[in-house]
Amino acid sequence: MSTPIIPTELVAPIWNPASYANRDAVEQIFATLRRDYPLAMCEVPGYKPHWIVTKYKDVREVSRLDDIFHSGDISKTPASIMAEAMMAEYSGGKPHIFRTLVHMDKPDHTEYRNVVKDVFMPQNVATLKDGVLASAREFADQMADMNGECDFAETIAMRYPLQVICDQIGLPREDHATMLRLTQWFLSYADPDLCRPGSVLTDPEQQIKTWQIVYDEFKSYYTDLVAQRRAAPRKDLATLIAHGQIHGQPMDERGMISYFVIASTAGHDTTAATIGNAMWILARDPGLFSRIKADRSLISGFVEEAIRISTPPMAFVRSATQDYELSGQQIKKGDRLYVSYLSANKDEEVFDAPFAFQPDRTPNRHIGFGFGSHICVGQHLARLEMRTLWEELFERLEWVEMAGEGQWQESEFVCGPKRVPIRYKMN
Amino acid sequence: MRKWQCTTCGDIYDEAIGDPDSGIAPGTRFEDIPDDWMCPTCGSTKDSFEPYTE
Repeated sequence: MSTPIIPTELVAPIWNPASYANRDAVEQIFATLRRDYPLAMCEVPGYKPHWIVTKYKDVREVSRLDDIFHSGDISKTPASIMAEAMMAEYSGGKPHIFRTLVHMDKPDHTEYRNVVKDVFMPQNVATLKDGVLASAREFADQMADMNGECDFAETIAMRYPLQVICDQIGLPREDHATMLRLTQWFLSYADPDLCRPGSVLTDPEQQIKTWQIVYDEFKSYYTDLVAQRRAAPRKDLATLIAHGQIHGQPMDERGMISYFVIASTAGHDTTAATIGNAMWILARDPGLFSRIKADRSLISGFVEEAIRISTPPMAFVRSATQDYELSGQQIKKGDRLYVSYLSANKDEEVFDAPFAFQPDRTPNRHIGFGFGSHICVGQHLARLEMRTLWEELFERLEWVEMAGEGQWQESEFVCGPKRVPIRYKMN
Repeated sequence: MRKWQCTTCGDIYDEAIGDPDSGIAPGTRFEDIPDDWMCPTCGSTKDSFEPYTE
């Protein structure tokens, strides 16, 4: 069987951050791919060829087979040939600027994950409920003080999960805004409203230049904190990471700084995206709002459906370490695979009416937190944050509606709304 | 009836509930689950589970 090739004009937009401002158009591309090119090769000029993996079954299979489909050998996001060369130059020959959990394979991945894993197991996350509830109430109070109108994305969705994770890391509240700013520079490097000031978005080298700057900023901030925690341990994540042992040795510098980077960025940005999108959906659907307000037992399903629909980390790239047959296609050793969680979570063969928001969807085995050993280590905290906030908001909101146009970020990797202007009444 | 926890993702297998979506009926003891069963949340193998007590 010859390798199916996706027409460039169909697939090229998914490589372009600006495409994601129009979420419906992106979803339509993946719907077309699932129907016509469920597992096929794309050859976009300037990039090495990638398999585009769109089906739920295939995404789970690739994600689970860590030894066959590596995470650490090439860029985790689609990177141009030029960008790959720049990352190697900046990192001393490595394929990444950062070396986080998502950039690792066994045995390092297991060792690094074990440093914080126990803290994020559900029975230990449950002990954080009082602190999370206090933050949820604080932000609900802020919302109540805004005279019935706010940009929910900017004022609540982006800041509440930020506060929760930064409290857990052990960062002073006055530094939380710095973490949000660096997160946006890093993950929304191409968005004209959220990118680093001074970025030249037409510069094809801008992404990697920005990432190196972000790495240096995080390094500058966290180097002092690591020294503090080594001298005076506390009960926080910063202490765990600062004292983390890898194969019996202290973490190397890039691994440690990157650990703080992923905690300080992915630890809130994906939850923020889901919360923001959930409010966007609610504010356009008064029937859905009334239904959940009348039956709070739906909140857990509402959160799961918001995760499925939103899927903020939309894709990761993996590389094959050996030949492998996947759904009848011959993957060759060294091939690259763009693994689309966004597409898998809308797979018509798994999710009935996949674009309909159904808080009572059963089963809802979405893979919004990933699949396999790389599944999001913070998933239980994210769920606790979301359930707690929505329980508070459904208690206090009487009604909510859009007060303007919402806007998606221009980001091809992690994506959520950057504006959700709402009008509401709450007690 | 006992509970088991996936050491990768924290998912709980409760013998009283089983895993009906994967064809494991309520009341199925963990030892009786087929060896090719996977954690429904993360896909880890059966041997990734440990006994869990609340």
